[in-house]
Amino acid sequence: MGERPCGPRGRSPARSPSGPAAQGRLLWAGLHPPLLWAAPRLPRATRAIRPPRPRPSAPPLPLPPPPPPEALIAAAAAMASRLLRVGAALRLLPAATARAAPARHFAAPGDLATDEEQATGLERKVMEAMNKGLDPYSMFRPKRYAGTKEDPNLVPSITDKRIVGCVCEEDNSCVIWFWLHKGEAQRCPSCGSHYKLIPHELPH
Amino acid sequence: MAHQAHSYHMVDPSPWPIFGAAAALLTTSGLIMWFHYSSTTLLTMGLLSMLLVMLQWWRDVVRESTFQGHHTPTVQKGLRYGMILFITSEAFFFLGFFWAFFHSSLAPTPELGGQWPPTGVKPLNPLEVPLLNTAILLASGVTVTWAHHSITEGNRKQAIHALTLTILLGFYFTALQAMEYHEASFSIADSVYGSTFFVATGFHGLHVIIGSSFLTVCLLRLIKFHFTPNHHFGFEAAAWYWHFVDIIWLFLYMSMYWWGSC
Repeated sequence: MGERPCGPRGRSPARSPSGPAAQGRLLWAGLHPPLLWAAPRLPRATRAIRPPRPRPSAPPLPLPPPPPPEALIAAAAAMASRLLRVGAALRLLPAATARAAPARHFAAPGDLATDEEQATGLERKVMEAMNKGLDPYSMFRPKRYAGTKEDPNLVPSITDKRIVGCVCEEDNSCVIWFWLHKGEAQRCPSCGSHYKLIPHELPH
Repeated sequence: MAHQAHSYHMVDPSPWPIFGAAAALLTTSGLIMWFHYSSTTLLTMGLLSMLLVMLQWWRDVVRESTFQGHHTPTVQKGLRYGMILFITSEAFFFLGFFWAFFHSSLAPTPELGGQWPPTGVKPLNPLEVPLLNTAILLASGVTVTWAHHSITEGNRKQAIHALTLTILLGFYFTALQAMEYHEASFSIADSVYGSTFFVATGFHGLHVIIGSSFLTVCLLRLIKFHFTPNHHFGFEAAAWYWHFVDIIWLFLYMSMYWWGSC
C-alpha cells in the first residue's frame, strides 16, 4: 500500500572522496606511497590554545558568601547526575530556543574557556544547532505529530526518501518499516498514520 | 569537513590498534622468555612498544577531540559507557584475587598451621602505615572532587591546585607502599599468604600508578586550556578511575590488612 519498490528511484547521491577523512582512506589503501596512514594533523588555521581573550570592563567580583547547605547538596546531586549525562544534550530541544544556553557566555581572563569560545568542528556545529533548537544530526527522538492528513508526521531527509519505522501503538513490538518518498504524504500500511518527507540540505 | 548526517565519529584509519596487538604479543612472549630463560630482550621491546602505542594513540584522541571537534555529545556518551564498562571489568579482575584470598583464609589448611595469618607470618599492623595510606587515598578522593567542581565552575587556578594535590597524594601513597614492601617481614614466597597479599596489593599499586599517570596527563591538559566547564570527559574518566582505585584499596584494607591480620 504505502510500500513502493526502491528501484530506479533509489540511488544514493554520488559521494566522491574529499576531505581529510576520505584522504585518510585513500592513503590507507596505499595510493600514496610515502605515507602509511594519515595521523590526525593539527589543522593549520585552528585557533591556538591560548588564554581566553581579555574581555573589556570585567569588574572584579567580590568573594561570594559561602553557599547554604541546600546549595551544596544540590551541587552534589548535579554532579552525580553528570555520570551518564550527555553534557548539554539533556537540555530539551524545544526548550533550548526559549532561553539562552548556559554555555553562551565568555569566561573571565584566567578562567577556563567555555565551549562557546573553544568548541570546534562537528562538536561546534552540533552545539550551535542545539542552541537554535534544531536537530540536523538526528540526535534526539523524532517529533511527535498527530499523524492526520492535516498534521502529518514530518520526516526530514537529506535525500528524496527515508526509511520510516512506525510503532503504531505504544509498546508495540512489531515495527512497521517502509520507504517514505518525496511528494505526497504516505500512510502507514498498518495504522494509517500520515507521513510526509521534508527534504533538506545536508548539514555542512 | 566530513559531510555526514549523524553525530558519530567515524575514525580515520590508524595503525595503533595493530601495533598495540603486536606490542601485546611481544610483551606476553617476553614474559615467557623472562620467566623461563632469563632473557629480558623481548619483554623490553614489548613494554617499550606498548608505551609508544599508548602515547601516540591517546595523543591522536586528544587531537581528534580538542583540536578537531569530533567528540559531540553522542560520542561523549559512548566514551562514558566505555569507561564504565572498562572499570567494571577491572572490578571483576580484582574480584578474582579477593576470591583467592578468602578461599585460602576462611579455611586455612594444615600446611599453614590451621590458622590465618599462617604460623610464623607476622602481618603488617593495620593501624600504622596502612591506615595512613587509607587516609591519603580518601583525601585524594576529596581533592579530585574539588578539582572537578573547580573545572565546572571555570576556576582554572583552583582546579590546577586541587589536581596537583591529588597527584601528590597519589605519589605519597605509592612511596609509602613501596617502603612497606621493602620493610615487610614476609615476601611473596611465604605461602599462600604472601601470594594473595602481594598479588592483590601489587596489582592495586600498579593501578595507583596508572591512575596517577592518567591524572598527570589531565593536569597537563588542564594547564593548556583543553577542558571547558561543560566538556572535560578526559578528566571525568580519570576521576572515575581514581575513585575506583580508592574503593579497591578500602576493600583490600578491610579484608587483607585488618581482618586478615587478626
